[in-house]
Order: sequence, then C-alpha cells, then structure tokens
Amino acid sequence: MKELQLQMDAFRKSNTPVVKNGFMIVKYNQLVDWSRGNSVWPLSFGLACCGVELMHFIASRYDFDRFGFALRASPRQADVMIVAGTLCNKMAPALRACYDMMAEPKYVVSMGSCANGGGYYHYAYSVVRGCDRIVPVDLYIPGCPPNAEALMYGMIQLQNKIQGCEYMQVKIPSGYGDD
Amino acid sequence: MQKPTKIALRNYLKSRPGIQLTENIDMPVIVCPVEDLIALMTWLYQNDQVQANCCVDICVVDHLHYGLDEWVGVDATSTGFERARDALSKRDIHEKPGRYEVVYHLLSTSMNQRYRIKVKLDEPSDSVPSVTKIWPNANWYEREAFDLFGIRFSGHPGLRRILTDYGFVGYPMRKDFPLEGQVEMRYDAKLERCLYEPVQVQNRVSVPKVIRQDDQRHTMSEV
Repeated sequence: MKELQLQMDAFRKSNTPVVKNGFMIVKYNQLVDWSRGNSVWPLSFGLACCGVELMHFIASRYDFDRFGFALRASPRQADVMIVAGTLCNKMAPALRACYDMMAEPKYVVSMGSCANGGGYYHYAYSVVRGCDRIVPVDLYIPGCPPNAEALMYGMIQLQNKIQGCEYMQVKIPSGYGDD
Repeated sequence: MQKPTKIALRNYLKSRPGIQLTENIDMPVIVCPVEDLIALMTWLYQNDQVQANCCVDICVVDHLHYGLDEWVGVDATSTGFERARDALSKRDIHEKPGRYEVVYHLLSTSMNQRYRIKVKLDEPSDSVPSVTKIWPNANWYEREAFDLFGIRFSGHPGLRRILTDYGFVGYPMRKDFPLEGQVEMRYDAKLERCLYEPVQVQNRVSVPKVIRQDDQRHTMSEV
C-alpha cells in the first residue's frame, strides 16, 4: 500500500501513466481524452473529388474503422466534419447549418486546396475562398486532392490534437483525483 | 446521314428559304431563324425519316470577343504567349448583332443520326420559343441557359435559376461578367449567418513563360 502511495506521488509529479502488475494509473482526463481520440465520428460531407479520396480512406484498403472512425450521416451524432471538396456559395449556409448542429466538442478538417483557400477556383465567382470563411478549421490537409494516405496522416494528427488538449474538464469525485 | 433522311430534310428545307443546312464533319448543322424554330423542331421530331426523338443538349455561345484578335499568338516565344495584348479594334459590345447563339443538339436513336440546330440572337432579351412541349427534358437545359446566359425562353413552364445561388444577380457565363463575380461570401459571427460582401480579390493575368531554352520543340520551331 505504501508502495502504491509512492507511485501515485511519482505519477502526480511526472504526469506519465504508471504501469504495475497489470494495472495502469492515469489521470481521469487523460483516459477520457484517449477514448475520445479513438472514437472520432466524422460527418460524411463529400463535396467534390476529395470525397472520392475520402471514400478510399473509408474503404477496405485503408479501412478507417481501425482508427475508431465511423461515418455518421447526421451532424447531431458527429464529432468532426471533413470538408472534402469545393465549397460553393450556395452550399455555404448549409455547411454552416450542419456545423451548428454538431454537438460540442466538434472539429473541422479542411481537406484539399479548394476547402483550404479556394484552390483552383480561388478567382471564381461562385466558390467560397476557403471554408475557414464559414467555419473555424482545426486542421488543413493540402493536396488536390490529397491522397488517402495524406488524409489518414491528417486524421491521425487530429487524433493527437484531441488526445493532447484535455478539452473536457471532467469533474472527478472527491477522494479519487488530486484534490 | 442516310439517303431517305437526307432527301426528306432537303425537301422540307426547300419550302423554307430562311433555314440553312450545312453538312459539318460530325453532323449536319441547321441554322434557323427564331421564327421558324418551333416548326422545324416539331418537324424533326415528328417526321418518319428523321425521328429526332432525343434532345441531347442545349447550349449557348456568347460571341462577344469573337473575331477581335486578342489571341493571335500561336507559338510560345521565350517571353511567353501573346495573350495579354490589347485588342486591335474595340466595338461597342451591346451593338454587336448576333451576339448569342443557342445551339440544340438532337439525336435520333432509330436513325442513328445527330443534328445541330443553331439560332442566332441579337439581344439577350430576345426570347426563343421553348421546346419543352416537344422534349420535356429541355426544361432544365433551358433553365440552365437562362441561368448562365440570361436567354429568355417563351412558353417555358417555370423559367427560373437552376445552378447559381438563390438571389444571384447577373449571368455568369456571359463574356462581360467578371470572373471573380460581384460578391463573395463569409460567415458573420455576430449576425450568425452567411452574408455576401463586395468582392475583394483581384484576378491576375498569368503569362506562361518558356523557362527551358534547351527544350527540343522550342529550338526546332526557331529553326
């Protein structure tokens, strides 16, 4: 018991998980963030050819289910919106409505040149010059379109971001946390 | 074109001198005045030797800068294409006759024959009779032509915009429509809605340049 107490003290100082005898001691928030980062549910929002690369990432070769992603058709069930493709002026209010419908905490991944800054259609009359004019963006993936590996890399970076930022300050019952 | 079809078409056009028929390399091209359009189209649809039962596409051509030799250059030189030159002659764009051309593409699946019918318009407000009574799928084609070029189709059941945003002003495929448009969109956090603002960006004319002087094609054209 005394040994465990010592390890708890060491854990509080270093903030790294302690593994001992098949048990692991982590902070509660770290555990929550770890689980959130491994069950990211994207909203399927394919707008153009980037959507095809998104489908490649979804389908069996890259198989994004193994990262804990699962596409949702409803924004109310989604954690992250992947803006995959050209965002037109006519689509922009609908995109914002979908974003507003998503529950907090929510993330936006801008995929491809068109979503990043208009891309090929930057000087066109009908295209929004970057989806960050409409919604706040967490992650930009360059490419035209970015291939499935690039999207996979970007989504892993998003997982790292979710796991590292301790967004949810979970209230811990007294006696269990470092109160 | 099969012989009976050709004979039927020639015989029909004899009685209508305003309509011109030329055999193009891919399909026969019929240039038709606006007044004769519906009669011609109905005949093409109903005649047993033609049977143009399918309206493949309706498109519009804007001849605003056509013939103004701004794009004379063919070869790329070491200083780039000659694309940014000033036009030699400038005419008032609105007084150019026959500026717009509505082009219909028809297909006869039974005769395995395609037709191209052209109608010239002096003013964009000149209305063209709608062919939706003959081919119902022309409905959306005509809406698209109205949306992008502002061509009016008289007799269309619901002529309204189909592609551009709700409340869009202007006809974007016209040659005098600026590429960047008039407005751009952004989300306003205070108003909590997307709104339009006057466009900020300015387009650049990028002149491609031949960087590699040792390009074989380039040196061969010099010789």
